[in-house]
Amino acid sequence: MQSDVSLGPSRPFAGTLAFLWTEVLVQGNERMAMLTSMVVPGIILVFVLILNPSLFSIALVGAIVFSTFTMGQRVLNEAAYLRIDHKANDMYLAGPMMPEAYFLGMSVGILVIYLTPTIFLGILATFVVPLHLDVGLLLLAVAATVWLFAASTGYVFSTFFRDNRAIWAYSSLFFNVFGVLMPVFYPLGLFPAALRPIALLLPPSAAAALVQAAIGTTTLTSGEVILAVAGLAVETVGVFLFAIYWARRTVREA
Amino acid sequence: MATVAEEFPNVPLRGRALPAFGVVGWRWISRNPAVAITPVLLPFIFLYFLSLISPPSLLPLEIVGAMLFTMQNIGSWTLGDSAFWRIECSLQDMFVASPLSRIRYLFGIAFSNLIAMLPALAVLLVLLSYVGAQHGYPFTPLAALALFAGLFTLWILFSSIGIAISSRIKTQREIWPVGNLTFTILGMLSPLYYPLSALPPLWQDVARFLPTTYAALLVQGALGITPATPLQMVFYASLLALCALVGLTITLRLYKWGES
Repeated sequence: MQSDVSLGPSRPFAGTLAFLWTEVLVQGNERMAMLTSMVVPGIILVFVLILNPSLFSIALVGAIVFSTFTMGQRVLNEAAYLRIDHKANDMYLAGPMMPEAYFLGMSVGILVIYLTPTIFLGILATFVVPLHLDVGLLLLAVAATVWLFAASTGYVFSTFFRDNRAIWAYSSLFFNVFGVLMPVFYPLGLFPAALRPIALLLPPSAAAALVQAAIGTTTLTSGEVILAVAGLAVETVGVFLFAIYWARRTVREA
Repeated sequence: MATVAEEFPNVPLRGRALPAFGVVGWRWISRNPAVAITPVLLPFIFLYFLSLISPPSLLPLEIVGAMLFTMQNIGSWTLGDSAFWRIECSLQDMFVASPLSRIRYLFGIAFSNLIAMLPALAVLLVLLSYVGAQHGYPFTPLAALALFAGLFTLWILFSSIGIAISSRIKTQREIWPVGNLTFTILGMLSPLYYPLSALPPLWQDVARFLPTTYAALLVQGALGITPATPLQMVFYASLLALCALVGLTITLRLYKWGES
């Protein structure tokens, strides 16, 4: 008997919307997880408010960048959980839907749900930070870029784990080093001068530095601006393309 | 009816649970470098951030806070381990069927997670002695006693909170958010990284119901960071013990062991 269902190769990104909507429905039930996405930015904002209120506007902008960055941690946890615990990705990817659609659909689905706390921070920022239209657009652009970088990195990392138990330690280290140690919540000027190029080459701190410069709390030379913009763009595009390649490759190997 | 000992005379009914769990803890960190490094580095990442944004005089207080917070976080790790073993590995059923009691199981997991935190606590202790001496807060025997009493109490209490919550968790997906939310919020509500007086009045009132607050006040008082009379120190120690006792009573009632 001949089947009417074609299981041949599909077009690239086929099934993105299906994965996106599935993830929206799944994450929509994870209210507790949504709350936890605000824990670290919330704590740091409280620290700043109590210990040095003059830095609150910078920390708030940093919290917006950080909240989009930590969506990568959600992608990492979710992709690992679906693969290891549910074995669901084997089933998904045995169908005509494409592996890059799985990665991108899941990432956008997580973005849709976890955007609520980020929007809340954005509304708060309009009262505290001088956010003109150009600064607002810049913040939006860099936050979106940081999200793409983090989601791609999170997905690639998720493929390396064999059990869920070890994820927490590695992801905490990665996201805290990039997001808390680096000048995301505090001005670039407080970071050691010799290490500033490193901070400008890492997407979260580069994004924060560009916004800090736009609102006038940090001064960047033209060379530093170029370094931050180029680092942000090149690394994000590079990691995104690698995540697509890696998604396809890991399916082939399985 | 024959007892287990009579029916299975060759099955050991006694064992050294604590060293066994200690080996589990050691194997866990020795096989996963990030698991050993993360608890050491995380407090320092936050301390570095705090040292940049706060007055340098608060550094000894922040180091004490990092030590207490690290110890409190063992609860989150205990939660994660016991839930993972029960849900993913179905190990708890085996422990329930064995002569191991639920209290020894709790201490075993708490001990195995303490091993992962010991390097961080040791480094923070050396840092506290050095920075404290520089700021005029020497690490006296009284300070050491208060610090170890506070750390020990938080270790027992928060491990039991972790295991009690874990026994109610149904899926692995809940482990990380529940643990993160519970232990981070409990830690942040207490004046670990800032003086109690720096908090708004309502927050201070809430903080006074938490054991971590009295552990922090006790150690800060013993070091001389926050001035306290001997009577106040006894008061803080008593409230810490009382809060811990109430907390332990509640959590042990919530802690589900077997099917009953």
